[in-house]
Amino acid sequence: MKGKYFAGIDIGSTMTKVIIYSEGIRGQVIGPTGPEHRHLANIVMEDALAQARIPFEAVDYVVATGYGRINVPFADKQITEISCHARGVLHFFPNAGTVIDIGGQDAKGIKIANNRVVDFVMNDKCAAGTGRFLEVIAETLGVNIKDMGPLSLKARNKVKISSICTIFAEQEVVSQLSEGIPVEDIIAGLHEAIAGRAFRMASKLKIEGDVVFTGGVAKNTGMVKALESHLGRPVYICREPLITGAMGAALLGKELVEKAMESGKAIKIKERKLTTARVF
Amino acid sequence: MADKEKTKKFINRLKSRNIVRPMVNKMYAEGVTAANEGRPLAWSMVNWWEGDIVMRAMGVTPVYPENYGTVCASTGMAQKYQAICDAEGFPTHLCGYSRNHIGYAAEMKKLGKIPPDAPLGGMAEPTFMLGSGIACDTRFKWFQALRQYYDVPVWTIDTPSYDHTEDIDSDIHEHNIRHKVKELERFIEFLENLLGKKIDMDLVEDYLENQEKVFQLWWEINELRKAKPCPMHSRDFWTLMVPGYYMTYDKDALNLYHQVYEEVKARTDAGIGAVTPEKYRLMFAELPPWHSLDFFEKLAERGWNFVVESQGYHPPEPMSLKTGDSVLERLTRWTYWVNVGHIRKAKEKNYPLFGPVQYYYNWAREYQVDGFITHSLLSCRTATFWLPHAANILKEELLVPSMNMEGDIVDFTVFDPDLVLKNAEAFEESMDYHRGERKRKGLEW
Ligand SMILES: Nc1ncnc2c1ncn2[C@@H]1O[C@H](COP(=O)(O)OP(=O)(O)O)[C@@H](O)[C@H]1O
Ligand code: SF4
Repeated sequence: MKGKYFAGIDIGSTMTKVIIYSEGIRGQVIGPTGPEHRHLANIVMEDALAQARIPFEAVDYVVATGYGRINVPFADKQITEISCHARGVLHFFPNAGTVIDIGGQDAKGIKIANNRVVDFVMNDKCAAGTGRFLEVIAETLGVNIKDMGPLSLKARNKVKISSICTIFAEQEVVSQLSEGIPVEDIIAGLHEAIAGRAFRMASKLKIEGDVVFTGGVAKNTGMVKALESHLGRPVYICREPLITGAMGAALLGKELVEKAMESGKAIKIKERKLTTARVF
Repeated sequence: MADKEKTKKFINRLKSRNIVRPMVNKMYAEGVTAANEGRPLAWSMVNWWEGDIVMRAMGVTPVYPENYGTVCASTGMAQKYQAICDAEGFPTHLCGYSRNHIGYAAEMKKLGKIPPDAPLGGMAEPTFMLGSGIACDTRFKWFQALRQYYDVPVWTIDTPSYDHTEDIDSDIHEHNIRHKVKELERFIEFLENLLGKKIDMDLVEDYLENQEKVFQLWWEINELRKAKPCPMHSRDFWTLMVPGYYMTYDKDALNLYHQVYEEVKARTDAGIGAVTPEKYRLMFAELPPWHSLDFFEKLAERGWNFVVESQGYHPPEPMSLKTGDSVLERLTRWTYWVNVGHIRKAKEKNYPLFGPVQYYYNWAREYQVDGFITHSLLSCRTATFWLPHAANILKEELLVPSMNMEGDIVDFTVFDPDLVLKNAEAFEESMDYHRGERKRKGLEW
């Protein structure tokens, strides 16, 4: 659809991501959600609009997704992140069959066929097994989250982390540090534990087709390696794994508008203003 | 429900269900009155009718702590009793029903009287307790544990392990019936010794006849729910199951089901559904979140009609009775049949599944469901361990997808309704996909 603009906004527990789409990505911004920035979803949107060089009013349809999607006053529609992730992944990997998404506060597995969500599983009951867990431990170890992956690849004897609870795992890590175990061996052990959990969760879906790993944790090369070894096959990663939800949101918005136009019905568009979102 | 805010209503509830509440109130009030008047009162596990009929015929008034768990959950009192149970040192991974009741009993013992804030007037101190070997070990261990508060006799009616495909073998079936009859005879002997009177078998037979009529009607009502749109939602089922579960001896129960039948039949004839429009037909396993039943309104708003549920709460399907059976044989056959009837049915296709799984497998086709919602309970193995198996079989063989929600029957703190609602949207996508697949593969719905 020439000349039309679609926006997808994915308000995650840690990151807010925006895509502006019009025959290709015109704007793409990732900014933090959490605590001090919680009201700033509109700012992330403004940055993306600036990249696309259009005013907000020029956007034809806005779809919000993610944990904070309900409270976005400037969205035309909310769509669950499961559908958005699936759609976004298919855009980048048309042969995808299974998605493993590990974000800041949950982990999910999605199975796709014929462009649709066929099945999904979710773990959001506890921080263990999520990006938050890695953040907590990175802080304890005094390591930047971005360095966790590369460091873990240097491990020679990855340790076994026996606790599945974030708090206890933190204590375990502290005691391993005091025993003089190298940091990289500890991190590799953590990745192994989280990848094992994600693998067991996704196995409930009977993994088929190409496996795509998304979410912030997919940026961590150590996690990618650990997950691949559990799966016994390579996983596909987007150049920017954080963006699939927002991408899917924009594309689903586009499809809604197209469908409405085909059937000759006008799509409902709200009076909307680019104002602060209430995330909590 | 913990959060008492008013939920908008989208389920077209049956009017006749309003008769149930006074019946339940009466059941609890009669328990307290019996105790006050010095008549025997039993705390009884659900025993699938056999023990109930015998107790009633002996003039015992039973009250049911498991049902009381649902009452306390829906009135918000369960949290208090569970906390007391925990403080008494019982493990928190016991099921919600047992924690609620143990906490209640401990509180009553401490106060020396029924707690004044006990829902529905509470349950008075029992003359004895009746455990049951059906379903799980908790259902007799918990009463044994309660003797530290109330040192009264605890009797358990044993049951052979049922739900097995081996039961299709008629020798095993008849052997099990004989065992169960013996168990009932011993229970009667126990009651006669305890109460110093003889049982009136004519009364047992009268009650049994009433029960058979209740079963037949209650079964027919659920059959009517196969209609599209389904005229009766699971919420009404969960309300209406109480008389069919605990009061089958009672003429009032029979009268109730007559009225329900008329109402459901009228709706079926007029094409009136419990949810309009009925976009999706859902099946629910197994025990519901008693603390949050209003939550189903939010799913109804999306067009989700729950058309069949909770196999453990359903009446047995009709069976032909053997001529020459004694009253006790007949009585016990029903209890046994409710657990094995569906397996028997599967013999035709030479593919019997584990009992509850077989139920849902049969129902998915008969009720033509779009989705299967499993409620995995953190504290109840019996109602949980087979859920993934059922979900897999339905998906693989019948192309019916499932969605799991984690929770507890009594403890609302482990249930996250927002998450379920959030996932509901994605599940609709999955149901749409599977609907197309079923069509493509030539399944009948
Ligand atoms: N550059 C990075 N390297 C490694 N991990 C990262 C990086 N950026 C983010 N993460 C991980 O991703 C998580 C956030 O993922 P995200 O998918 O944005 O979650 P949400 O959608 O819940 O905000 C963080 O908790 C962190 O563990
Ligand atoms: S079957 Fe489950 S809910 Fe019922 S008593 Fe046993 S453990 Fe508790």
